[in-house]
Amino acid sequence: MMRLDHLPNQREGERVELFLRRHWFAVLTIILAFILLTIIPLGIGFYFRDLVSSWLNHTLLGPITVILGSLYFLSIWLFAFLEFTDYYLDTWIVTNERIINIEQEGLFHRTASELDLAAVQDTTAEIRGIIQTLFTYGNVFVQTAGSKGRFHFKNINNPETVKEKVNLLVEQDKKRLSALGARKKGKVKSRDR
Amino acid sequence: MFDLPSISFPVGILLIIFIAYMVFYVAYSFFNIYHLVRYGIYGFGLYLIVTVFTGGTILLVGASTLMLINFDWSAPINITDNIDNYDGDLFPGL
Repeated sequence: MMRLDHLPNQREGERVELFLRRHWFAVLTIILAFILLTIIPLGIGFYFRDLVSSWLNHTLLGPITVILGSLYFLSIWLFAFLEFTDYYLDTWIVTNERIINIEQEGLFHRTASELDLAAVQDTTAEIRGIIQTLFTYGNVFVQTAGSKGRFHFKNINNPETVKEKVNLLVEQDKKRLSALGARKKGKVKSRDR
Repeated sequence: MFDLPSISFPVGILLIIFIAYMVFYVAYSFFNIYHLVRYGIYGFGLYLIVTVFTGGTILLVGASTLMLINFDWSAPINITDNIDNYDGDLFPGL
């Protein structure tokens, strides 16, 4: 279990500035899909209740109907849980020194990567379409200086605000590093004398 | 034409499908919960999700068991009889 006050490979003086997950609209989609997949067969069953009850009273069709029904409802419950786990485990943590990107793709594929804020060259916020505009969520792309490509914060809340915050943190980190570098150079010079 | 040999089996044989699925369900759920607990962020939300999922599973399995328990699982199904007596009406309620 990961704790926000004890990050993996946490550096001295490092603190969490932003903890991001996909927008709650992603959870709403899972809930709506689950409700639809539950209500539709129940509605069909209710509409054809005479037929269903005749099946249930049959020696062979009764057990088959109940078993198939159980398998169906257990499957959509498990599917909803899997989708929620995927949502829950996709996280982006921005500290005052680095960005940690943790992505869960399916049950057996997990990617965890990180980059130093000093390596960030450019950030882009993107809000696409009516739904994203209405609910103020979208993507943030963090472009790095290296050939590593870019980090993608998918469907996060308030992408503009996050972009501004990341830019601010990048500036602060660059200043901190240059001050640290100047101090080190000063030490080297004083030793030479 | 020709006579089919009399083949019969108890309805209970269908429970094998249900039990096999439950084994798969439990294994998959276990992996999922393990992932959540191992890689999730510590907090109340994590416990809530696991509790809700486990509670929902208990409800669904309980309801299924209550419905399944009413059937006579020892009743034999004779394939030959079912073929001979099939009146072509699979949807008698319609």
